[in-house]
Amino acid sequence: MSEPKVILVSFDDEKFPVDVQVAEKSVLIKNMINDLNPDGLQEDFEIPIPMLRSTVLAKVLEWCEHHRNSEFPDDDDDDAKKTAPIDEWDKNFLKVDQEMLYEIMQAANYLNIRQLLDSGCKTVAEMIKNKSPEELRRTFNIVNDFSPEEEAAIRRENEWAEDR
Amino acid sequence: MSPDVNNRNHHALKFDFIMQNEGPDDYKQLKESITQRRNSAAAQKSEIQELNYRNSPLLKLPTEVLLQIFNHLDRRDLYSLLTVCREFADLIIEILWFRPNMQNDASFNKIKAIMKLPKLSTHWDYRSFIKRLNLSFMTKLVDDDLLSLFVGCPKLERLTLVNCTKLTHYPITEVLKNCEKLQSIDLTGVTHIHDDIIYALADNCPRLQGLYAPGCGNVSERAILKLLTSCPMLKRVKFNGSENITDETISAMYENCKSLVEIDLHNCPKVTDKYLKLIFLNLSQLREFRISNAAGITDKLLERLPNHFFLEKLRIIDITGCNAITDKLVEKLVICAPRLRNVVLSKCMQITDASLRALSQLGRSLHYIHLGHCALITDFGVASLVRSCHRIQYIDLACCSQLTDWTLVELANLPKLRRIGLVKCSLISDSGILELVRRRGEQDCLERVHLSYCTNLTIGPIYLLLKNCPKLTHLSLTGINAFLRREITQYCRDPPPDFNEHQKNSFCVFSGHGVNQLRAHLNQVMEDRAYLIDHGDMHALFHERRRRFMNGGADMDDEEMTLWARQRGLGLLQSVDNDGQGMSDINREIFRELNEGNMGPEEMREHFQRLIRNHHQHRLVERQFTGAEGQGDEVHLENQDPQNAPQIVQPAVFPNGNQAIPIVNVDEDDDIEMQLVSLFPRGPQNS
Repeated sequence: MSEPKVILVSFDDEKFPVDVQVAEKSVLIKNMINDLNPDGLQEDFEIPIPMLRSTVLAKVLEWCEHHRNSEFPDDDDDDAKKTAPIDEWDKNFLKVDQEMLYEIMQAANYLNIRQLLDSGCKTVAEMIKNKSPEELRRTFNIVNDFSPEEEAAIRRENEWAEDR
Repeated sequence: MSPDVNNRNHHALKFDFIMQNEGPDDYKQLKESITQRRNSAAAQKSEIQELNYRNSPLLKLPTEVLLQIFNHLDRRDLYSLLTVCREFADLIIEILWFRPNMQNDASFNKIKAIMKLPKLSTHWDYRSFIKRLNLSFMTKLVDDDLLSLFVGCPKLERLTLVNCTKLTHYPITEVLKNCEKLQSIDLTGVTHIHDDIIYALADNCPRLQGLYAPGCGNVSERAILKLLTSCPMLKRVKFNGSENITDETISAMYENCKSLVEIDLHNCPKVTDKYLKLIFLNLSQLREFRISNAAGITDKLLERLPNHFFLEKLRIIDITGCNAITDKLVEKLVICAPRLRNVVLSKCMQITDASLRALSQLGRSLHYIHLGHCALITDFGVASLVRSCHRIQYIDLACCSQLTDWTLVELANLPKLRRIGLVKCSLISDSGILELVRRRGEQDCLERVHLSYCTNLTIGPIYLLLKNCPKLTHLSLTGINAFLRREITQYCRDPPPDFNEHQKNSFCVFSGHGVNQLRAHLNQVMEDRAYLIDHGDMHALFHERRRRFMNGGADMDDEEMTLWARQRGLGLLQSVDNDGQGMSDINREIFRELNEGNMGPEEMREHFQRLIRNHHQHRLVERQFTGAEGQGDEVHLENQDPQNAPQIVQPAVFPNGNQAIPIVNVDEDDDIEMQLVSLFPRGPQNS
C-alpha cells in the first residue's frame, strides 16, 4: 500500500490529495496531523480548509510542492530575514493579480507558512518602494480620505522622516 | 572618524544591543499594541474609509500582515505611505515615532521644531508614541531647552543621553516624571547627576533595568539606596567615581536586585569585599564586574566560593588598581570563572608570573587582557599566557619594564591579535619588532600598536611594521628620539591642548589617515634607496673597488664600511653603535668579496643579504638575554632558541625581592586609550 495522503478540502469542496511532507509545510496542518494522529498517519486523512477558495488552495499547494525539500533557516533572526532577497522562484510564482496575491498571503498567514508569507510581504514592499503618495493610491486603489489641510499638516510635521 | 565618535557609536550600539537582547522583541511588541488598537477602532469607520476598505484589497489584509510588510520598508517609504489614507497613517505614525531619528542636523532640527509647537496644534500628540529617545548623536545641539521639549512622553522606555554634557539635572528629572515604563537610562558623560535624578527614577520607574550613571560622584548614598530598593528589576548598573558609595550600597544591591548581570564601580574607593563576597556567591548570572582603585578589595573577594564553583556567566572582570590583590585571587578566579573573556588587572602591582600561568588556563576563552603597570611580570609569564590563550585579540603590557624582545617573539604567535600595548617597555629593541613583523608575515591583522617610550626603537622596523600591517589605524611612538623629526612628525596628530611644552614636543601618535601618510612616506624613502642599490650604485661601487684593488690601493676603514652599509638602507634597520663586532665582520667579508671579484654584483647582493639576515637572527637571540645578564643576574639558559625556549617552571628572570618598582605615570593619552572598554567621559584631549 502506498503512503497515506492528506486530503485538503477547499471552501468550494474541491479535494486536494497531497503527500504528508507537502502538507506539513503549513505549521497549522502539521500540528493538526500530529495532534489527531499521535501514532502517525495510518490512512488518508481529510482536513477541511473552509477559508480558502480552490484556486487559492491550489496555488498554495503548488508552492508547498515546489519547496517540499527546501530547507529554510529556522531562526527568528529578524535582520537576516529582512535583508534576504526574495527567492527567484517565489518571485515568479507571485506574479499574479493583487487580489490573488493578498489571498495567497492571507492563506499563508492562516495556515502558518512563514516563508510564503515572507515572500508575499517582500513582494508587496517592492510594490510600495519609491512611490509618491498619489502613485501609491493609484497602485492600491485607495481614495484620499484626508482634507488637503490635514495632509499638508501631516507631511510638514513628519518631514524629518524623509531624511536618510 | 575621530576616536570619540567611534567610541560613542560603539557605546550606543553596545547599549542598544544589551537591551535588545534582553527585552522582548521591539517590533513584535509594537505590532501587538497597534493590532489591538486597530481592531477596537474597526467599528467606527467613516464612509470614505468603508469605501476604501471595500475597494482596496490591500487594506483587507490583517494588521499583523500589513505591519510585516512595513517592516521591509525604510523611513522614506513609510513617509510616502503616511499620507495615502487614514488607515495607513494610524499604523505608520506609531512606527515612525517609536524611535524618532535624531541622528543628523536636518532631522534633529525638524523634530525640534515640531516639538516646540503647542501639543494641541499638531495632528497627533507625538510624545505619546515615543518609546526610544537617543540624543547622543548630536550632543552639541542638546541643552536643557531641547530636552525639556520631551517632557511628557508616557511610553518612554529608553532614554540615551550619552555625552550630552550641556544638560543639567532639572530637565532630566522632569522628563522622568510619569515614565513608568522606563527600562533604561544612559547618562554616561552627563555631569550634573544629582540626587533628584536618582529619586525621580526611584519614584517613577519601577521597571528600570539599566542605569548607567558613571558621573554620579555628587549623588548621596541615600539616594542610591532608595533607587536600589525601588527598582528591583535592575540588571545593569554603573556608578563611577564616587566616594559616597560604600558597602551599604553593595549590601542593598545584594538584597534587592537579584537579577544584576553588570556591576560597574570604577573609582569607588570606599567599597570593600565585605558584601561583594555575597554577590559573587549568590548572583551566579553575573556577567560583567568592574571596580577600580578600591583598597578594600582583597584576596578574600572569592573566598566564600568553593573550588570549582562556576561563575559560569562571568565574562568580564576588571579590578584595576586594587593593590591588595595577589596571585592568590587570580588563581581562584580562574578556577571559579573558567569562561572569562576580558581580564583587566592593570596596576595590580603584586601580580606576578604566577597569575599569568593561572590565566593561561582560560585558554581560548580569553580575548582581552590588560596587565599595564604589573611591573613584576616577565617574558616567562607572557610566554605561558600567550601559548595557551591563542585567541587573544587585545593585550596591554604597558610599563611592564622587565619585558624584552622575547615577549614580541611570543606575541608573534597570536593569530587574532589586533592591539598591542607596550608603552614604556624600554628593553624592547628593533630586533624584537623586526622579529614580530617577520614572524607575523604580510597582511597582518594588527590594528593598534602602542610603543611610546620604547626608547631604543628606530625607523627601519617601524617601516616594516607599517608595510606588513595594512589594517593599522593607530601607532604611538611618543618619546622615542628616532621619530621626533619633522619629516616624521608632520603626519602625527595634534597633541592634546592641555599638554605642556615638553609633552607636546615628545608627542608622536599617528592615527587614521596619519598612519597611511607615514606608511607612504617611509615607502617612498625606502624605494629610493632600493633603487640606488638596484641600479648603478652597486655596480659603481663594484667597479670602483676593483679599480682600487688593481691599483693596489688601501683598504676601506670601518667608518667607510659603515657608510657603505648605511647607503644601502642597512644602517636604518639597526643602530650601528649597538651592532658591535658581528656587523663589521660581515662588512669585512663583503669587502673581501668585492676586492677579489669572485662574484658578480647580483650574486654578491644575494650573498650579503643572507649574511645580514643570519646576523639579525643571531643578534636577536643574544639580545634576549643580554638585558638579564646586564643586571647581574645569573640565569643559565640551556636553550638559546627563543622558539623553544622558556621552561615555564623556571624562576622569574628578576626575582622580585624588595625591589622597589617605580610607578610611572604616562601622561600621554595612550594610557587612557588602553581602557578601551571604559565608557566614561573622556578628558578634553579626546573630544
